[in-house]
Amino acid sequence: MPRREHLLKIGVSGIRGVVGEFLTPVLVGSFAQAFGTYVGAGRVVLGRDTRLSGEMLQHAAACGLLAAGCEVMDVGVLPTPTIQVYIGSTRARGGLAVTASHNPPEYNALKMFNARGLFFNQYERAELLDLYHQSEFRQAANQDMRQLLADYQTPPRLHIERILAHVDAERIRARRFRVALDAVNGAGSRLSCRFLEETLGCQLHALFVDPGRGFPRPPEPRPEALAELVELVRREGCQIGFAQDPDGDRLGVVEETGRVLDGDEVLGLAVEAVLERAPGDVVVNLTTSALIEDLARRRGRQVYRTPVGEANVVETLLAVGAAVGGEGSNGGIIFPGVHACRDSYVGMALLLESMARSGEPISALAARLPRYVRRYGRAPYEHGRLGSLMQELEEAFPGAQTDRSDGLKLTLPEGWIHLRASNTEPVLRLAAEAHSEEELGKLWDSLTRRLGATASAAREE
Amino acid sequence: MEARKALRISHVGLRGVVGAGLTASHVLEFASAFGTFLEPGRPVLLGRDPRASGVMIQEGVAAALMACGHDVIGLGIVSTPVIQHAIRRLEAAGGVSIGASHNAAEWNALKFFGAQGAYLSTAEASELLDIYHLKKFRFVEWDRVGRFQRRDDAVDAYLDELARVFDLAALRRFKVVVDCTNGTSSLILRRMNERFGLDLLLINAQIEGVAFAHEPSTNQRTVALQLAPLVRPVGADAGFLFDVDSDRVAMATEQGTAISEEMVLPVLADYLLERGPGKLVITNLSTTALLEEVAAWHGGRVVRVPVGRQAAADALAGFRPEQIAVAGEGTGAVMMPQFRFVYDGIAAMLAILSMMRERGRKLSEILARYPRYSMLKGAVPLVSNRVPEMLMELRKRNADGAANTLDGLRVDWPGRWFHVRVSQTEPIVRVIAEQRGDPPERLFEALLDFVRAYA
Repeated sequence: MPRREHLLKIGVSGIRGVVGEFLTPVLVGSFAQAFGTYVGAGRVVLGRDTRLSGEMLQHAAACGLLAAGCEVMDVGVLPTPTIQVYIGSTRARGGLAVTASHNPPEYNALKMFNARGLFFNQYERAELLDLYHQSEFRQAANQDMRQLLADYQTPPRLHIERILAHVDAERIRARRFRVALDAVNGAGSRLSCRFLEETLGCQLHALFVDPGRGFPRPPEPRPEALAELVELVRREGCQIGFAQDPDGDRLGVVEETGRVLDGDEVLGLAVEAVLERAPGDVVVNLTTSALIEDLARRRGRQVYRTPVGEANVVETLLAVGAAVGGEGSNGGIIFPGVHACRDSYVGMALLLESMARSGEPISALAARLPRYVRRYGRAPYEHGRLGSLMQELEEAFPGAQTDRSDGLKLTLPEGWIHLRASNTEPVLRLAAEAHSEEELGKLWDSLTRRLGATASAAREE
Repeated sequence: MEARKALRISHVGLRGVVGAGLTASHVLEFASAFGTFLEPGRPVLLGRDPRASGVMIQEGVAAALMACGHDVIGLGIVSTPVIQHAIRRLEAAGGVSIGASHNAAEWNALKFFGAQGAYLSTAEASELLDIYHLKKFRFVEWDRVGRFQRRDDAVDAYLDELARVFDLAALRRFKVVVDCTNGTSSLILRRMNERFGLDLLLINAQIEGVAFAHEPSTNQRTVALQLAPLVRPVGADAGFLFDVDSDRVAMATEQGTAISEEMVLPVLADYLLERGPGKLVITNLSTTALLEEVAAWHGGRVVRVPVGRQAAADALAGFRPEQIAVAGEGTGAVMMPQFRFVYDGIAAMLAILSMMRERGRKLSEILARYPRYSMLKGAVPLVSNRVPEMLMELRKRNADGAANTLDGLRVDWPGRWFHVRVSQTEPIVRVIAEQRGDPPERLFEALLDFVRAYA
């Protein structure tokens, strides 16, 4: 039997899918109306990234929100963190961002935020989903209809002001850093140029900063996608290169040597930068490198682990009052001083500030991070297979410390392995980390061997 | 059908009370059906009247059309005729007009137009309804989704076209009071004053989304409310009143007399048949018999069709444009061949003013020429399953008259007629009787009693 195409997902993470046959304006309009019903008849902020389907879906979301009696504040094309900061600092009931973040261009989705500009917690998300399924939306009559307004200027200004309150911009400006930027023609295209050039006084060499053009490379700022940026860094002798995803929440970093840092290294540098100035605990997801524990331990601080997903990390981060957090597995830096969300702008500012303070190149700062080797992969999802795989793995490593809060994570003296079902795609995600390549190879084999029939399909990422 | 829950999805589009009947889901799905129905390749136009719910509907329609691969051009708050003109001028694939015209503010509606701004034929509208009911919409791939563009030049282009047909400079001599009912006519007429130096004094000219200054219908009663009493004090030559989306018009004379909405079509038939003797007047079965008399003066002929825009559009398609002098209803909705048969209240006003100028007559003098007809209108709640029996019996009892059963039953005697039919918009039976001279009160009361016996 051929596999069913599964290109739409409506669940506790919201609504996401391939535009066209799957993600339709009808579904998005209904989901937005459910959202508007849930947050109540007040202002809702609405923005989007640069996906070709974004304008269409923003109109559909506006329709649903207005139908629920909400006032819609259109902020246009903006990075998701910028939208979140704006929601949190106005009297909005919540906000929606039309973006599928790092997913390929054919996808789109709604990211949903509460009145503080934060992701809904798991309980709120479940309530919203129930409301959507019950289809008992608030239906505003003509006299209850609110307006569709627009504010394109305030959100970027607010976001930059917030960041400047936490970094020493003078010090960064004084260095006139040569910086390369790859904004993937995404929502950050304009703001990133303005931020790096005008706010932080860098000599900017930018590519892919045309928001109307579509994505010129895979949208996730992973090392293999950043060849052009690496080339630019080398050609122009840049001291650092930054890469964003289409909605500007994830950050990729290229050293002056042309080496691309992985997400855990980027997060490690940001955590180090924050803890240096404002000590506190750290919250990361289960798939993030153990190097974060090493960094925190040096300063006598604790690390909390959460299931994968920004919403999970933020929920714990706020609950324990941590100083910093993130998801090393995907380049997300969360600094609640500015806003409790993944924010590539905070990341850029923190790294440039570390370079300015230390006077050292980014490669030297990265070299001082604790050393681990990591490997990530994915395998096609087979219903009913995850449970038995988890049992087999647990039996194979009887001495391991286990965590079943998101799939299965086994922590051993030589490293760890993590197996989980993706929240956004019909795949199993695999990850392993160890002190040496040899140990990593063994751990990876023990993981993929047990995938049995699907082992050949498990590919490294 | 409870009025608060009112929703009707039919050949002429969607109409309902927003929230209680007409929801965002209806809008998104019906507009998706329209996007599927239209041929891809050319843009689709979108405009609305000032009702607050219009923004919600506009956003939903835009999204659905874009998802079907159409570029959308938003014209903002404009009248229905402006949208229809812009469709033709911009060679668009079609358009959508969002606005409930003469209905109260809590209503809204969507009207759909094809290429050239034409109303959909019954066959096209049926196909659209089938697509809507099947809900298999042709959404395009992500990289072929349409874009949205705003245009603000539609009103000026429309005024240019009016200026080609009417000698606007010659109409500067008239002082005219206009009741805009807080609708789209105020934007158009203000601009007409600016560009062509007309002397149109606008009242209720504030664009309003929720509370109109008065009920937005174009009947004698609403003309008498605020407009008619103002005409003489300001020394105006005439008064005109538009509904919210400016497709209908009603009038008051220079003496401050509110005129029945039934008179708009006969006046224009008189004017246009004079310029095109022997042509046709297309109207529905409920419209005044004065038309036949006026047509006879100019050797013209009246073609009567069932009530409703759809029947009128289908009838128009059956003739060559040059055969027709004018088409319209007794509601003040009139289409003229100069404007490719678009219901257009503003064009109707300009035609009446031109007639006053050409004949050198005051409006009251023009109206005084017509023999007096008196019409009585009533409505009785409907029991659907007894309607055929009731009509059959009614026909039997009035066998001495000439019967027409195209739409309910109309029976004509010399100088007198009645029409009993089922409303397309409300669950009622409409009863209309007219007589040359005094009102046919006994006939009308007898009809009401008879129909009530079946309710």
